[in-house]
Amino acid sequence: MASTTAAAASQPAAPSLALPPSQFARLQPHAYLLAHLSPPASSQQPSIRANGRAPSQFRVTSANTGSLTHTNGSAVVRVGDTTAVCGVKAEILHTEDIASWSVSHSSSSPSNKRRKLTNPTEKPGEDREDGSKDDEDDDNSYIEDFSLLVPNLSLSTGCAPGFIPGAPPSALAQSLSHQILSLLHSSRLVRAEDLEIWYQRPNFGAEELERHNEGEQMDVDAGPEAEEANLEAREIKAFWVLYIDIMIISLAGNPFDAAWTAVLAALRDTKLPRAWWDVDNETVVCSDLVSEARKLSLRGLPVASSFGVFEADAAAGWRAVVIPDAEEERKLAESERKGIQRRWILADPDGYEEGLTQERVSLVVDKTSNGKVKLLKMEKNGGFAVDRKELKDLVDISARRWDDINQILQRC
Amino acid sequence: MLKRAELSKSPPKANSANFLKIVDSALAATTAPSFKSLLFDRSRSLKELPAVETCVMTDRRRINGPPGGTRPPVFSSATVTTAERPQRQRQPNELRKIFLKTGLIPSASGSSYLEFEPSASLSAARASPKFITPPSSSLKLACTVHGPKPLPRSATFSPNLVLTTHVKYAPFAARKRKGHIRDASERDLGVHLETALRGVIVAERWPKSGLDITITILEAEDDRWWGDAPDSHDAAWGMMNVLAGCITAASAAISDARIDCLDLVAGGVAAVVADETPDGTAARLMLDTDPAEHQSILSACVVAYMPARDEITELWLKGDNSKAAVGTTDQNLSHEALIDGAVDAARGAHSVLAEAVRESAMRFAGLSSGTA
Repeated sequence: MASTTAAAASQPAAPSLALPPSQFARLQPHAYLLAHLSPPASSQQPSIRANGRAPSQFRVTSANTGSLTHTNGSAVVRVGDTTAVCGVKAEILHTEDIASWSVSHSSSSPSNKRRKLTNPTEKPGEDREDGSKDDEDDDNSYIEDFSLLVPNLSLSTGCAPGFIPGAPPSALAQSLSHQILSLLHSSRLVRAEDLEIWYQRPNFGAEELERHNEGEQMDVDAGPEAEEANLEAREIKAFWVLYIDIMIISLAGNPFDAAWTAVLAALRDTKLPRAWWDVDNETVVCSDLVSEARKLSLRGLPVASSFGVFEADAAAGWRAVVIPDAEEERKLAESERKGIQRRWILADPDGYEEGLTQERVSLVVDKTSNGKVKLLKMEKNGGFAVDRKELKDLVDISARRWDDINQILQRC
Repeated sequence: MLKRAELSKSPPKANSANFLKIVDSALAATTAPSFKSLLFDRSRSLKELPAVETCVMTDRRRINGPPGGTRPPVFSSATVTTAERPQRQRQPNELRKIFLKTGLIPSASGSSYLEFEPSASLSAARASPKFITPPSSSLKLACTVHGPKPLPRSATFSPNLVLTTHVKYAPFAARKRKGHIRDASERDLGVHLETALRGVIVAERWPKSGLDITITILEAEDDRWWGDAPDSHDAAWGMMNVLAGCITAASAAISDARIDCLDLVAGGVAAVVADETPDGTAARLMLDTDPAEHQSILSACVVAYMPARDEITELWLKGDNSKAAVGTTDQNLSHEALIDGAVDAARGAHSVLAEAVRESAMRFAGLSSGTA
């Protein structure tokens, strides 16, 4: 503590300091960043981060999609010096390979069928409504139950010195993979209906049924009835499974935002070939024509933005995290009143800043077409500094970030 | 196929206790040999775990796909027949353009990114895509160098720089999805790369230190055209192009890390190919072959070559061209000619490499003058 204040104090007398800035940054990282953020009033310099950004400024972001040949969709996203490459590869999961499929679905559908058969006078419209509702419910459960989205993030690409290539995924890589997976599930970004491969049974049975019905009751409208039978004859034969692999090629802080943006861009780029069930071969066959392939229709555009909280008190990170000290809070409030800032919320921290911040906030927001901001995920850990008021500000900043990312993704 | 069918009989989401119970019942029925091995491995202590078990263990740290496994898409033959094998548009001694850039990864002491120019067919397919399956692919890889750094305490004394190379394909790099764990071919590439570089680095300047070279392949070369049936005599030809790219990229990254070398080592590939022409099959020597463009490759050679010293640090020759050489009594198809061809290709790559290293040096000079 004493040394940092001394260093901060000695900053104005920079000429006497024989160290070049880069070395000073390495030796006294905290004091270095603090000196940048709270320059002495006499120096007339604005408060700015060591990397030249304003506290709420994100790094320059660029994205490029569709450059990898062997993928269904791919993207390279650079956020400053952090680079993430994401490739989506689609494979097919036959329902016969799903162990629980026959249990959960064949048991439910026959009962359904039986009900319909025994009670042909039932209004078909009602039933279909039910069915569609079921679909909506199934939507998430299909993707989650059968793990149709498989994101994996790899850091062992030599992206930073700490990660040994060839070693099993580090704790950070595992946690990032799971964060991406849970965000994919909770944001419901991918629609299950895009991943379903249906089979329409040829309509022999339906005609028979129709004739049978006609015999029973003459005036039943045959049109919807046939359609109903058609619906019944349709069944899901397979699913597309999207393997979403993210390679962090270069790591310089905030890997989550870069990785998520890469996933988003790659999924927007993903094209699935037209696929159908081939009865003779008893397998799913795809069409090779690009004209028949279709893109995924994603739900919205969730954009992630992360923040770190930098405390002027260098010891703040060392102290055990306990209930915030009333005394200290009072002091902070007082200094706030005096116009001395003791705490900075830094958007998109780079690797240097990440080592100096304890408290992290991660937000995922989406904007509806009428400009309403939807909050999809909010995660905060490591401290007490960010309160309701600050979070509100951060949501605003994230909403602005959404506009930027939206533009960047539209362009590529 | 059999294994998959058996696996699918078990509920996928069983927790471990449940799972073991199911395994037991499966054992009692003695129908599932795959389960038996699984159970057997689990009961072992950690030390004597075989390679298979480590796969299972590391996979727990990743997000796994459906437990029943998935199948790569199969394309209908109705459309496939209309696709044509890409044709080589270059002269036999003309190389593809190489994009090589250093210093893209600031946290590493040296780094480089290498990309081959897409072949004519691929760039045409990119411009106006008709088929989902691309006709061929072009190499893209990133290389990082970390070090020289002190060896870990546990390591024995070494008077020289200890070189570690690591080559990994991204899961989406090839036509077939690659696993997360290095397979035999990736290890093989790593060893080849190490021999290529060990002869170049002046290792005795850094006693007791280590140097890690990591290469991530984002897009690999094909081994053959995808429309061809897998053949008995075809080998991993694409791997040789990948190795040549790895050598060139690693050389650039090592110079970017300012490690003393004897020379800039560059990789080059040449191959004897047999294409069917209107007047019979003709064997020809080609530089920098894209395996997708040729019907069959008889033999191929990759070298790591130092032009200034005229030395080869690594030579890898694969295939059998005796038949072609005998048939034509042509000296141009001998092994020597093949090696010379590869060396010529390496010379071509060297010019690109020298340019990239010059750029890196300029940047370093600018940087050091800026801070001083």
